[in-house]
Amino acid sequence: MKQKTWLVIKILLLMVTSHTSGQVCNFHIIGNILNNNQKPVVHASITLSNGQSSITDTNGYYDIDSVCKGTYTITCAADSVIFLQRTIYINNNTTLNFTYHHMEGDLKEVVINANKIHDLTTLNLIELDKKQLFQSAGKTLGESLKNIPGLNSIQTGPGISKPVIHGLHSNRVLILNNGIRQEGQQWGSEHAPEIDPFIAGKMTIIEGAASLRYGSDAIAGVILLDPPTLVNDRLKGEANLVGASNSRMGAISGLLNGAGYNKWEGIQWRVQGTLKRAGNFKTATYYLGNSGIDEHHYSATIGYHKANFGMFAYYSSYQSKMGIFDGSHVGNLDDLYAAFARPKPITPSYFSYKINRSYQQVIHDLLKLNSYYRFKNNSRAELTFARQSDLRNEYDVDLPYSDDPAVLNAPQVSFKIKTHTVDLIYHTPEKKHFSGSYGISGITQGNVFKGIRYLIPNFRNYGSGIFGIEKYNRDKWTFEAGLRYDYRWLRVYRRNDNSLTVYTQTHTYNNLTGSAGATFQITPDLSVSANTGSAWRAPSVSELYIKGIHLSAASYEIGDSTLQSERSINNNISFKYTGQKLLVQLNLYDNEINNYIYAKPSLTGITLVSGTYPVFQYTQANVRLRGLDAEINYQLLAPLAIISKTAIVRGYNKTIHDYLIFMPADKFDNTLKYQIPNRSKFKQNFITLQYVYTARQTRVPPNSDYAAPPAAYGLLNYSMSTQLPLHKNLLDISFSVDNLTNVAYRDYLNRFRYYADDLGISFILRTKLTF
Amino acid sequence: MKKILITASLMVAFATLMNSCKKDETAVAPPVPGNEFLTTVGLKVTNANDATDVQYAYWTDTTLISNPPDSINTPVLNLKADNKYNVEVLFQDRTTTPIGDVTEEIKERENYHLICFTSSPSLNLTVARTDKDTNTPALEVGLTDLFTTGAAGTGELNVQLRHQPNVKDGTCQPGSTDADVNFTINIQ
Repeated sequence: MKQKTWLVIKILLLMVTSHTSGQVCNFHIIGNILNNNQKPVVHASITLSNGQSSITDTNGYYDIDSVCKGTYTITCAADSVIFLQRTIYINNNTTLNFTYHHMEGDLKEVVINANKIHDLTTLNLIELDKKQLFQSAGKTLGESLKNIPGLNSIQTGPGISKPVIHGLHSNRVLILNNGIRQEGQQWGSEHAPEIDPFIAGKMTIIEGAASLRYGSDAIAGVILLDPPTLVNDRLKGEANLVGASNSRMGAISGLLNGAGYNKWEGIQWRVQGTLKRAGNFKTATYYLGNSGIDEHHYSATIGYHKANFGMFAYYSSYQSKMGIFDGSHVGNLDDLYAAFARPKPITPSYFSYKINRSYQQVIHDLLKLNSYYRFKNNSRAELTFARQSDLRNEYDVDLPYSDDPAVLNAPQVSFKIKTHTVDLIYHTPEKKHFSGSYGISGITQGNVFKGIRYLIPNFRNYGSGIFGIEKYNRDKWTFEAGLRYDYRWLRVYRRNDNSLTVYTQTHTYNNLTGSAGATFQITPDLSVSANTGSAWRAPSVSELYIKGIHLSAASYEIGDSTLQSERSINNNISFKYTGQKLLVQLNLYDNEINNYIYAKPSLTGITLVSGTYPVFQYTQANVRLRGLDAEINYQLLAPLAIISKTAIVRGYNKTIHDYLIFMPADKFDNTLKYQIPNRSKFKQNFITLQYVYTARQTRVPPNSDYAAPPAAYGLLNYSMSTQLPLHKNLLDISFSVDNLTNVAYRDYLNRFRYYADDLGISFILRTKLTF
Repeated sequence: MKKILITASLMVAFATLMNSCKKDETAVAPPVPGNEFLTTVGLKVTNANDATDVQYAYWTDTTLISNPPDSINTPVLNLKADNKYNVEVLFQDRTTTPIGDVTEEIKERENYHLICFTSSPSLNLTVARTDKDTNTPALEVGLTDLFTTGAAGTGELNVQLRHQPNVKDGTCQPGSTDADVNFTINIQ
């Protein structure tokens, strides 16, 4: 060491701000370096262990761009002298402010406190990282989230499932696929999200009223699927191979990504693709005929960025064909009762990959263009444009009555919706403990319905929103509050059956929503968060205008064009204790929804040529959903942990003093997790045994369902996993057995519980090679 | 490089915006030509001993055709006691002129269809299907039938068109219901 001016650094409370998710390689480490006189330190260098670096400007600010998640050693130097080296884990945008003193002597101990903060921090937030996602690879999106307390999936047979958050789903759960609102025909409980779960490098579930940041429909929460951040290496990749015995499901998914160098410096790219095929699924004792799946998806990203500027293009195309279990075809209510009375479907089935009528076919394409610009003061603006088109064709089991081959091959129901969205978001720099995000967004959609039987009309809608969120973060406290205003215009186009002329009806909705919350870090181990937020949702076109038979449910649904917006107030309080051996998380929520839209049994029947159907009329009521999610993780012995999860939700209709239908039953999930010490090359060896008990749902409204809720059931699941480093590559292997004891059961949230049991035993092998 | 990328992405954005301005939704698709709705189920009943004794009864779906005239919505038959009748079951689309004949399509797909009859206990009527499909072995269809009346009485005859793709076994249970209507039969 030469002449030294040693600097002792005191690192202040670190503040982490988050930007919109879904942006490619979006982690920034930003901050300023001030001396003890609060004067900026100019031309200091900040370097990460992977070589990424930045130099402070005349204001002392620095910014390291496109940082990928991981552990880095951060090195700070001024005048060619290293004055700080620290290891820090980055999994979010991070603000690191340094204050240091010129001083003779040794480098003093440096303490880093890092908080991890999203746009909405005081809501309950759950993240699934790559490792956890690998454990559910090959499952549908809805199924892969079921291990989180408070989440369920509503199913229409084994292949079609939708995530349920705190008892709500479909239009009340917003899904952001790579930062873009997923827009298809999400109103239908049998319309699964058109998403390949393999795309996600991370999934985040925000429970609570998140309309403030993400717009309408986030009544129950938001699910964010974010692809992994782009890499700075020349070439990296990943290959997944999954096989399951039940349905003889096979999935292969791979990705390649890399970065340009020399004159292509600044370019990053990724290509990804998935093929998945499953045949007829099997219950404990019999096959479910025509329940296969054929799904493929590919996506490509290219990005370019410089010191303070970046732009990205992303394209993805998803296609899926899903068979509808042939035992579920009921012409009318008598058929349904007859099917329910049978212990198993009348027609025996066998294994086949073939998908016959009836089936759904879906094509979803997404184009996303986004860019960011960072200003001198470290504020940052992001502009995102997206276009998605969603085509959904549904083929009934009956062929149309026609001699015309064109009509015979046409789907009975076809929806095509095109959605364009644009978002501009501005993140203010942290100043005096304050930071904020402000944004405007716009959306337009056009829906074209074609079909032999009428379901919903054509429509065009325009929507816009403006929001602001401010956050104050100091010492042990974080406060946040925000407001949002949304406007929506909807025009439907219909044809008069007699005169054949087209007429329109127009609806407008506008809503002000807000959210406020606080987090208090009582001790380093214990924190408490509370949030009150509001959310809203405009009635969907189906709720306004549907008129017809819901085939798999044998009901006749009638919409109401006078429905108003649904509005909710969601109160949420959560405690988190992270001790040495014990982790406890408890989340309590109360979601009061005014003008909740639901299909109410009208207790009359309608007689069609195919029989008599009960009539359900869409109407509104004030309802309340309350519940708790709890998770306790206790390290019993050094290698053995017990993980216990509980989820309870109660839905109540305050207007008619009755329960809400299709609320998830109470669920208790207990897991023993045993870690085997590293053996030769095998690392991270785990064996888990899980017992999930689902109680019988006893709180159901009368006259709303055809069959009593099914009995309680318990499932035993087993899994073992390991990691094997191979040269510079890493091989992940997991073997699991779902429903180990091959229990025959039916689940209340599976709409096909009227017709057949749920899935029997399945052996699943998952492998992933990271290179 | 930067300029190229900006220009390229602006062009893509512009192109997609332009494409989006096609207002496809304003052109509401007219009813699919060539597709037939099943609106009406009929029975044509001919006395086996008297070819001039012909009766028609029709049941029409009032959600598809509101206020149908009696000529297509009087599901009543007056039969003579202790007689035999040759019966044809008729499936029609009465939304079009001329009347769409759905019976033809059902006949073409006879291997997937079965017509099931259920008489109420007060009705002394037996129904025998007289036609067969081309399955191996051949199974009954029920588009033509023989009604045998007994003693006088009144009751309901339920007629169901069962759709049984690949599962037809001669019984009524498999498959789903395409039509399910009731006729009133007076045996005098």
